[in-house]
Amino acid sequence: MRAFVFTDTSLARHAGQFVWLAVDIDDAANSQFLVKFPVTGTPTLMVIDPKNESLALRYLGAASVPQLEELLHDGAALVRGKQLSGADEALQRADRLENANQSRQAAEAYEEAIAAAPRKWSRSGRAAETLIAALRHARDYERCASRAVDLYPQVAGTASGAAVADRGLTCALRLADEQKPHPDLTAALTKAVRAEIQNPKNGLIDGDRAALYLSLIAERRRAHDDAATQSLREELAAFLEQKAAAAQTPAQRASYDFYRARVYRDLGQPEKSIPMLEQTERDFPNDYVPPLWLSRAYSAVREYDEALSASDRALARVSGAGRTMVLDLRSDLYAARGDKAMATQTLRDAIAFSESLPPGQHDQSTIDMLKKKLDKM
Amino acid sequence: MKRFLTALLLTAAPLLAYGKEVLPFIDNDYPKALAQAKKKNVPLFVDAWAMW
Repeated sequence: MRAFVFTDTSLARHAGQFVWLAVDIDDAANSQFLVKFPVTGTPTLMVIDPKNESLALRYLGAASVPQLEELLHDGAALVRGKQLSGADEALQRADRLENANQSRQAAEAYEEAIAAAPRKWSRSGRAAETLIAALRHARDYERCASRAVDLYPQVAGTASGAAVADRGLTCALRLADEQKPHPDLTAALTKAVRAEIQNPKNGLIDGDRAALYLSLIAERRRAHDDAATQSLREELAAFLEQKAAAAQTPAQRASYDFYRARVYRDLGQPEKSIPMLEQTERDFPNDYVPPLWLSRAYSAVREYDEALSASDRALARVSGAGRTMVLDLRSDLYAARGDKAMATQTLRDAIAFSESLPPGQHDQSTIDMLKKKLDKM
Repeated sequence: MKRFLTALLLTAAPLLAYGKEVLPFIDNDYPKALAQAKKKNVPLFVDAWAMW
């Protein structure tokens, strides 16, 4: 959103209507904010009533300019204390429950909102996609996938429809991973995701369209359909190259780096991502992310000295919670180089650092995951 | 933190902290933003993001 949406000059008319706060969830300065307003994925957009610091609205995921304008409109109305309809009241209650990490209860409230919605309710898309997100967050994968199938026809052809299909497919794939496959749900959601990828009118931002491709690839990979997996990866690579070539600013071009690096790695061509990542590092010399991805790319082509050098630069630039990720990848790098002692020590460093993070950024599930990884070393 | 690590393998997009923004964002200072919102009597909009 930072490269494409918040730079859109049509939003200038809203500048005075809000105070705008950017919260880097890695930054230790934000730990207290994150205790009060937990973030489970990025971006998370919120509108807060400053009078009592209450959450008026919460939205997980990137928004296009029209979607953002709807959120601004709805958020401002909620803060003004506009008389709420039953559906709007339930939607706001659901957002607040999700913010309180009560996803199951939030899902029930989102269902209430959907059931109470008047015809042509402008919030129906947001309610549908946040319901599916809440069910996924609650790990109720079966209901997540089946409700996504139910709701998709009502929001098809919109960015919300794409989110419903994509999140629902993620849940269907989780069911398969848990040995509880629902081929019918998976097939329906795969078809929906494919339709949204091919629909140029749904207003999706490019990153979200790339994420849809990754879901389709995940589905074909689980089906052991190597030819289709490869074909989709090539299609995604072509899409990303076209978009990156058309980027108007270094930030816009860099916004495709993650997906490009990933798809080239998966295609077995990690060397193709090195020039673009080097360019991004030159464009943004203070950011730790470009050298972090570079370290992975160099490692994949077994140029371990270059990989370690890039990891050194990432480590020197990172501050806050992102350090865990840099250390974890550095441990992988040592392991790939065959240096088990350094791999183990670096993973221990990652765990120690992660354990030292303040409330709001301390995440036990990550610590557990790292410890599990350490046990296997 | 799991979100940070899984993002490497799953679908989170990198959102790099640059680009000329049209909206006057305050960076990483909730108390300041909150005070301004109270003073101006306008809502607070938050973009919670990550660099990766």
